[in-house]
Amino acid sequence: MSKRQERMKIIQNAVERTNARRKLMNTVFTYVTIGCVALAMIPLGSILIEVFKNGAGAINAEFLTQPQGSIITGDGGIGPAIQGTLLVMGLASLIGIPVGVLTGIYLSEYARDSKFARAVRFFNNVMTGLPSIVIGIVGFILLVVTVGSFNIMAGAFALSIIMIPIVVGVTEETLKLVPNSVREAGHSLGIPKWKVTIFITLMAAKSGVLTGIVLAMSRIAGETAPLIMTILGTSLFFQCLDCPVDALPLRIWRLASLPYEHAESFGWGAALILILIVLSLSMVLRFFVLRRSGGRAPSLKL
Amino acid sequence: MTRLLDYGLGSLSNLIMKMADLSVRSVDTAIELYEKGDGDKSQLFEWSEQLRVLQDEITELAVELIARYQPVATDLRFIRSCIEISYGFSRFGRYAYDIVDVIGAMGSIAHCDKSAVMEMAKTTTEMIHQSVQALRTRDKTAAEKLYQMDDTVDALYRKHLREAITPSTKKGTNDMVKDPRCYVSTLLILRYLERMADHACYVGDAVNYIVTGSSSPRR
Amino acid sequence: MTSEEYLSSQDYQLAKTVAKPGYKVSVQRLNSWFFEKKALKEINLDVKENTVTALIGPSGCGKTTLIRSLNRMNEMTLGARVEGSVFLDDVDIYDRTVDPVIIKRRIGMVFQKPNPFPTMSIYDNVAAGLRLNGIRDKRLINEIVEESLKGAALWDEVKDELGKPGISLSGGQQQRLCIARALAMQPEVLLMDEPTSALDPIASAKIEELMHDLKRDLTIIIVTHNMQQAARVSDFTAFMYLGELIEYGPTTRIFENPDKELTERYISGKFG
Repeated sequence: MSKRQERMKIIQNAVERTNARRKLMNTVFTYVTIGCVALAMIPLGSILIEVFKNGAGAINAEFLTQPQGSIITGDGGIGPAIQGTLLVMGLASLIGIPVGVLTGIYLSEYARDSKFARAVRFFNNVMTGLPSIVIGIVGFILLVVTVGSFNIMAGAFALSIIMIPIVVGVTEETLKLVPNSVREAGHSLGIPKWKVTIFITLMAAKSGVLTGIVLAMSRIAGETAPLIMTILGTSLFFQCLDCPVDALPLRIWRLASLPYEHAESFGWGAALILILIVLSLSMVLRFFVLRRSGGRAPSLKL
Repeated sequence: MTRLLDYGLGSLSNLIMKMADLSVRSVDTAIELYEKGDGDKSQLFEWSEQLRVLQDEITELAVELIARYQPVATDLRFIRSCIEISYGFSRFGRYAYDIVDVIGAMGSIAHCDKSAVMEMAKTTTEMIHQSVQALRTRDKTAAEKLYQMDDTVDALYRKHLREAITPSTKKGTNDMVKDPRCYVSTLLILRYLERMADHACYVGDAVNYIVTGSSSPRR
Repeated sequence: MTSEEYLSSQDYQLAKTVAKPGYKVSVQRLNSWFFEKKALKEINLDVKENTVTALIGPSGCGKTTLIRSLNRMNEMTLGARVEGSVFLDDVDIYDRTVDPVIIKRRIGMVFQKPNPFPTMSIYDNVAAGLRLNGIRDKRLINEIVEESLKGAALWDEVKDELGKPGISLSGGQQQRLCIARALAMQPEVLLMDEPTSALDPIASAKIEELMHDLKRDLTIIIVTHNMQQAARVSDFTAFMYLGELIEYGPTTRIFENPDKELTERYISGKFG
């Protein structure tokens, strides 16, 4: 028997000897991963089920559109809170998305690896981890104390501060994933750098950046602490730019501290609406923006 | 590391050297037979046939090597030259066979004066040996020497041709004229030898082309 | 009866595939699908031991699907389904009783792009297959690593830096490392899926020379886009088109005097 054949036999034997153990381990490993999936999904699923079960009953047209009446009799609804949340989120996004995306573009496309860029990146990471209550206090000092009252701009500002580092990080990372050859192809056509960046590189990273934005918006939708310090909450619809406004997390928080039966069901209802808002953001992203167009790609106007 | 092409070049080289040996042996044998006046052509016929088959093999292999491996530079020149050289060698074999064939066709020519043929055969066989040697050692200077020798052969050929058509003045010196068999056979064989000398030159040219890459115009 | 009728007839359906003595690999009536799309149609291909067989054909003709069917790698692709037999000597690797993991030990594979395990050193890359299959004998592993690297003509270039990461090598060296990694398992057949398409000509030439040396010990089947490469390295060539095996025979014959007009048109570049 040649040396080669001898080797073959040793290896084949080893493969076959470990075969039973390998199959067992394979099965065990598969079930462990399935088990972990279950562990991860159970809390999430039970929260959703609980919220739907308790909140669905409270929802009707009045609940969605009217300001809160007597909590004891269960009149009115959470209209101002929905309006406030949408307004604050919208304003925060108006600030947070452009600033975040452009900073991400700067870090990835312009600054590359300069000292300044590294410093920005470092602070950005620190910001991501900043407790939101601290951001709320900053908003309070900067915009509430100076204006003289709780106001919507202070809330939007505080939320955008939370949003920006997330958007910056995701934008930078996804832009870096775009192969350099794509940029080079753009430059080779004599297209100016800013156009290459926006219409070619950013478009190539579109889905990643949008996912990051939705992630950031979902995150701020549920923030409570900074809102207490900036918009305070009210039971009225939007009045003026320097008046307090309401928001869903605030409403839930307040309702939760009330001892009445209707307060509880209102609270669940508000929680369900908040979840639905966040969910619909992801849905819109998935089904309308990220949908693979079957035929030709949407045309790009330069 | 051995290139894939090298395996093919190796067999090509073997084939061409085999042809070289066979053609040299054919020519030497033919001259020997002529000198002895004995015309057993069967063996030479066989060799000539073998040379023809080998030439086909070389051409086929050369084309295959070019098609499969896209050889360049020296390799390409060597392969191209092999096609030409193999043709030259097959001609050597064919002329050697023709020489012996003349003996067979003429019947006995033992009594003829062989000095003219032998004189030219000496140079021609020398040229053939040298051309094979040049191929073996890739000697680019051989072509020049071969052309010089070819001039001698050509001069001899013209001299004997002229003699043959000039009525003899000196009695008895040219007994070639007395017997048409001697007359015709000598002229034919001289012609074959002259052709072989030319092909020896072409082999020298081909060797020069392999080594230097410059092809000299045929003279 | 036309050939199509025969293929759908009961006689043919019932005919059993059997091992063919004298052939290392025998593909018999192999059909393959990706979801609803048929990728391979009734492929029959017999490969002799110690030869190099090249699969050529235009993109999407199924040559990669075929080579990936030869070690059941195909099954790992989502939506892929295979019917038919592939005999390795006398074993049908698609037999129910055959474990695909064990069969993969006997059939090595080299991929289009060099893919050394990213975090492993050169040595660990070659030893990975042995170690992860439970071989503990350090001396044996040392021996096999050295031999495999020599077999892949990489030893002289890396013998002093076996601890360096595999991905620090050049592209051509990485591909030879992948070949060494496959050789370490002492395969009987080596499948190569366009192994030089990501390499420069010099590195490609080295791989081609390597194949010539390797066929002394193994049987090589290679997919290549490059017809000249097929002409250079292979003893037999199979031309595929739209999932069918159009023509199969000795390389010199396929390239000099193909039987089928389709083959002629493809190899002489008159296609499409």
